[in-house]
Amino acid sequence: MGIPDVALAGAGGAIRNPAEVFGEIFWVFLGLGTAVGVVVIGYTLYNSYKYREGADHETKSDVDRPELGELPSGSGGGKKLALSFSISAIIVIGLIIWTYSTLLYIEDPPDTENAIEIQVEGQQFGWVFEYPNGEQSPTLHAPADRLVWLNVTSRDVFHNFGIPELRTKTDAIPGQMSRTWFLADEPGEHTAVCYELCGSGHSRMTAPVVIHDNESFQEWYASTSPSGNQSDGEAGMDGNETAAIGPTTTTGAVAAGDSP
Amino acid sequence: MSGHLPPKSSVKRWLQTTNHKDIGVLYLVTALFFLVFGGVLALLMRLQLWTPGPTLFGGLAYNQAVTAHGLLMVFWFISPFGFGFANYFVPLQIGAKDLSFPRLNALSYWLYLFSGLLFGVSFFQGSTFAGGWTMYAPLNVPTFFPNEALGATTAVLALLLFVTSITVSSVNFLTSMYRERAEDLRMRDIPLFSLSINLTVWMMLFAFAALLAALVILTSDHLLGTTYFNFQVTDSGSILSGTGNEGASMLWSHLFWFFGHPEVYIVFFPALGIMAEVFQTFTGRRIVGRKWFILAMVLVALQSFVVWMHHMFLTGINLETKTVFMATTIGISLPFDLMVFALIYTMIKGKVRFKTPFLFALGALILFIIGGITGVFLGAVVLDYQFRGTYWVVAHFHYVMVGGATAMFGGLYYWYPKITGKMYNETLGKLHFAGYFVGFNLLYFPMFIAWETPRRVFDYSAGMTIWHQMATVGGFLLAASFLVMFYNLFKSYFHGEEAGDQPWKYVSSAEWAVSSPPPLDNFPGLPSYASGKLSFKDPKDVEGAHAGHGGATAADGGAAAEASATAEAETSTGTPSKIRAVTARATGGVPATAHEHESDHADHASYWPLMIAFGGFLTLLGFAGYQGGELLGLPSHLIALLQGGSVPKLPYLLLTVVGATTTMGSLVGMTRESFAAPEDAISERWPFENVEKMKLGMWTFLASDIVLFGAFIGSYLFTRVANGWQDWHHMIPEAHVSLPGLINTYLLLTSSFAVVLAMVAARRESKRGVVAALFVTFTLGIGFLVNKGLEWAHLFNLHEGAFAGGWEFSTNIASSTFYLTTGLHAAHVIIGLIVCAWLFARTMGGAYMGDEKPIEYFGLYWHLVDIVWLFLFPLFYIL
Repeated sequence: MGIPDVALAGAGGAIRNPAEVFGEIFWVFLGLGTAVGVVVIGYTLYNSYKYREGADHETKSDVDRPELGELPSGSGGGKKLALSFSISAIIVIGLIIWTYSTLLYIEDPPDTENAIEIQVEGQQFGWVFEYPNGEQSPTLHAPADRLVWLNVTSRDVFHNFGIPELRTKTDAIPGQMSRTWFLADEPGEHTAVCYELCGSGHSRMTAPVVIHDNESFQEWYASTSPSGNQSDGEAGMDGNETAAIGPTTTTGAVAAGDSP
Repeated sequence: MSGHLPPKSSVKRWLQTTNHKDIGVLYLVTALFFLVFGGVLALLMRLQLWTPGPTLFGGLAYNQAVTAHGLLMVFWFISPFGFGFANYFVPLQIGAKDLSFPRLNALSYWLYLFSGLLFGVSFFQGSTFAGGWTMYAPLNVPTFFPNEALGATTAVLALLLFVTSITVSSVNFLTSMYRERAEDLRMRDIPLFSLSINLTVWMMLFAFAALLAALVILTSDHLLGTTYFNFQVTDSGSILSGTGNEGASMLWSHLFWFFGHPEVYIVFFPALGIMAEVFQTFTGRRIVGRKWFILAMVLVALQSFVVWMHHMFLTGINLETKTVFMATTIGISLPFDLMVFALIYTMIKGKVRFKTPFLFALGALILFIIGGITGVFLGAVVLDYQFRGTYWVVAHFHYVMVGGATAMFGGLYYWYPKITGKMYNETLGKLHFAGYFVGFNLLYFPMFIAWETPRRVFDYSAGMTIWHQMATVGGFLLAASFLVMFYNLFKSYFHGEEAGDQPWKYVSSAEWAVSSPPPLDNFPGLPSYASGKLSFKDPKDVEGAHAGHGGATAADGGAAAEASATAEAETSTGTPSKIRAVTARATGGVPATAHEHESDHADHASYWPLMIAFGGFLTLLGFAGYQGGELLGLPSHLIALLQGGSVPKLPYLLLTVVGATTTMGSLVGMTRESFAAPEDAISERWPFENVEKMKLGMWTFLASDIVLFGAFIGSYLFTRVANGWQDWHHMIPEAHVSLPGLINTYLLLTSSFAVVLAMVAARRESKRGVVAALFVTFTLGIGFLVNKGLEWAHLFNLHEGAFAGGWEFSTNIASSTFYLTTGLHAAHVIIGLIVCAWLFARTMGGAYMGDEKPIEYFGLYWHLVDIVWLFLFPLFYIL
């Protein structure tokens, strides 16, 4: 019984956790977005100033000004517009294509055989975590350096479960299951938060998250008393078994993945 | 009702006016009131967020503030504000005297006002709706309300009333824009503001029909006990099963966001149109790439309907779907890039004047650029996974939406001199802009920095306190800047300098060619662009070229209409190919013999729109009392009342009865009223030259109705798949057989045929034929209802089998979908029969001989009702 001390293949960097992935993309977007914003807004303000009425400019006779009662028409300038549009389209589409590969990675990370599965149930106004041995707790315990899958649902209304520092988040919808995963680099304490308005207690709907190093996680897990779902002594999370609880939740996970 | 309006200083004028300019002013003023209402709620939220934790309010109060702020701003402020301008200026810009249906226009306004008042009432009924403006299920049904939250139902009903206002408006604007344009003003020639309104209204027609379906279903859950959006997990060990609809949350998400995404463009497009106008005027240049700009707007309008699932990336939808919606979302950002560049390039070689309208429009462009860039972040799914439910989303949408509002305030200063004839104070205008722009950025930019704060949460990590405090200061600065605006506009109305017809240089659209304010009938003649520029023709010159009576002929249009048009064109003074010579006289039910020679006399006043809307307000106020599925008991309560017994919920019953009577009576009154809204003798009408005004209005309305039923049928299909297609049969009693449905199908199909016969008889001027055919239609329709009544009574009173207690509205999700969908259809039948009876009575009185059009319009409606049944019958009786 207990969880063998398996070093996660890739612990130490080969598996990028969602936090790293997000960080990379976010900073690239932020840098590029700020640059584009500064350039475009700067250009806008520059033009508005340069072409202000009364500025020293040779535009007096060669530009046709709008007249009252004319049929609306444009000023031409299609080429310049096409060029700017194409550049911006290339930047935007390029960014999205780049992020698409990371989306595929996030949806289907490697090494899931070593992963731990924990059931998460949201309710007004707290979270309940259920471990493979059936133990239920209002605190999320997980080991560092181990991929953790969360199967999330709700007991009542539409919630959303997220641990901001670990960059994991998914909706908690009554009647269905949705999944998310995280991989914590080091032990520490975090807070899980609800991100969907769920009633008067929404603002205080948090849960503590404790990331243990492997040993202390084994200790904690061994000290829990299973609530009777699994056979005694056999419930465990060795490196080769994907731990899952009852058949309904697995079915639910499949159903959730397929629903349009 | 005569056309003479009391002066603007008299309250009576404003209560009965149907003139588009007056209604525009009403919309603008009322929208500004809701801006203040929603804004105060926002300030309260910002005070709460001054420090982490419940600074001022507890959770329920805060949630109400958050919800009401969103609902008021999105629905009751921003779109109506844009439509205030649309009402005032679209007819002027396209060369029309008024909208096609002036009384319906007034009705739209009063429905809007009363819906807002109804929302205001909801605060005093325990608690108003507190589940966010997005109203996710199942938090949006009474099962999950705090005790005594009657206001939550009232709020939903208020929104329902608001949507009826929008539907009426859409029909009106679309008909007007296609039938009332000046000669030779093609659709692509109309000013960009009017074009943006045209696209807005197209989007509204389809998007709001989906919202209407969602709200009708939600209302039914509240009042009739159906279980579409109700799901309660049962404690039977499986977290995934429960009572109600397993697909409840997802169904609401799809319906709401299918509406919700086009909605944000519905909100933004009028602002975009205003930006285009203001940029052109204050740079002294025509827009760069006009046809690309227009194409970009059209693309956005179309694409807006295929991006909605980007609001649902975390709901467990599959990867393929997410990929598609990621692509479409990025796709929709591209036309906006083009439009932003077009506006920027318009300044080049311009003569830019930094007057207040331009400051706001330029400011709006900058804010929109920032908001748009941050939107691209949200389109990258991996990033969205973390931004979901955080202040990144809040900051993004406030930059774009309030950025749009910024442009609209620019429009307010731009058009203020035209509306009032007075110029506002320019220094105060600039002061407003300074406070506004600094306040705006101080309020919303820190939200990007503190983006990790969850939405609708007042607890956040201490490190973010400084950013939230900056935002609160910014919010108050933004609000204070409006005091300057209100003072400026109010004072200038009385003491401002006289503004002439063209207070701005380089204006070009038609509203600037008339006085400030414009005269009641807008133009000093018939506007025409036949010469290549705006000119005004003398109506008498044009009159002589046309033969009167009736509009373009029937749906088979074709030869007859063309022959008469060519004949008339040859006798006119302009180039034959360019003049569309149609004189249509629409008098809303009054025989076409009236007002024949007074083609330019238009009516401008009617009290009926106000009364209809007021009745609606009372009725819905009464309905709210039946929260908890008790509305079905109303008929028996009514009977008890008439018998003098004690009646539960008496105040609500009385409100309902008085309200419904007022509305019904006022509808009759409005139909009986003689009201002339003549179309101009010459107009550009592509592509609806041969579709007269009333028919075009009917088609538009029916298009909206089709989407409504489509959403209902879609909801049924989605729900049935979510609950298990075959398993569905376990939820239906054996007694529910297909025979009643089959009989009803035959009854309806025959009645449709009968209507066609009535139309033919009217054309042949056979009164007996019309009477007989309408009688048959009516009887068959009654037969349909009686048959359905028997079927339902049987199902309600089952004594044996799996549903021994009866199979009713609230029994299960299968019964809910069955009764509500076929019930909505039955309601359409009832309305049709009322109209049929009306037509019958008028025929007896000698109407419609030779003029079969009203019967034709009824026929179009009736055929739609039948076609819908042809879908419902297999879905609910066979499959």
